[in-house]
Amino acid sequence: MIEITLAPDAWTDIDPGTHALVDQWLVGEGDAVRAGQPIANVVLVKTNQEITAPADGRIEKILVRSEETFARGEPIALLKEST
Amino acid sequence: MLGNAQRPLRNLIGQRVDGRTELLERKAGGGAVLTGPGMVSASIVLPCGHPLLCDSLVDSYRWLGRLHVAALAEFAIAASAVPPRALHLANAVMAARTVHWACFGGLSPWEVVDAGCRKLVGLAQRRQGAGVLLVAGTLVGATDWRLLCDVMGHPEDEAVLLRRTASCEQLAGCSIEPASYASVLTRLLGEALGSRSATGEIQCHRAR
Repeated sequence: MIEITLAPDAWTDIDPGTHALVDQWLVGEGDAVRAGQPIANVVLVKTNQEITAPADGRIEKILVRSEETFARGEPIALLKEST
Repeated sequence: MLGNAQRPLRNLIGQRVDGRTELLERKAGGGAVLTGPGMVSASIVLPCGHPLLCDSLVDSYRWLGRLHVAALAEFAIAASAVPPRALHLANAVMAARTVHWACFGGLSPWEVVDAGCRKLVGLAQRRQGAGVLLVAGTLVGATDWRLLCDVMGHPEDEAVLLRRTASCEQLAGCSIEPASYASVLTRLLGEALGSRSATGEIQCHRAR
């Protein structure tokens, strides 16, 4: 299982207490995704950005819903990698 | 213009607008903005890996904030782009609460303020696979904060937004044509992009 989150370099120079917001999920639980496919839009410090699937697989569970926030390093979904 | 955070409230806000202005959604930035003749906006699209984007998301705002400071200086307006380490101090100087639903209700890194830390220029960006959209909005003339607060359902925030912001005209003490400011901005953007990109294309659209 792969934990999906916002890449660490996106948090560079950002205050430790800052949270990001999941603006919109582009896929749902159970959906098959391909590596590099945009799966969610998130907002951090007035910046909208995509989170992409790190590998081919299926979205096992969404951990942070739309309109909810998450901290640095916190996974927002779990991906079951294709075998 | 609604930001991401207001999207779920669009229908409710649309009822409050009641034809007084047009209601749009933007894809970059989370707060609401009232655009119009008093605001000059700039949108810059850069390919991934462009030198102006830097490695850090926050640093990507730096050149654009400083460019706006240079544009304002041409109108004899003293301003500065707030570095991340100075944000807390700037907010302390402001001594006014943040208005979370409004773009101009708070300060983010490299946004542009006057000597009293009142916001003049707001910044946002959108990062996608192919490139990055950077957007900036400058308060050149007066903004109808009452209208914005009213349609957003927060009339109590009008006084706070008035206190947290300043316009170019207010600081210059004279009328500034948005087209004149846009012209300066376009030239400076051309210089900034021209020195780094052979394919940069500058287009100027006059605000309605």
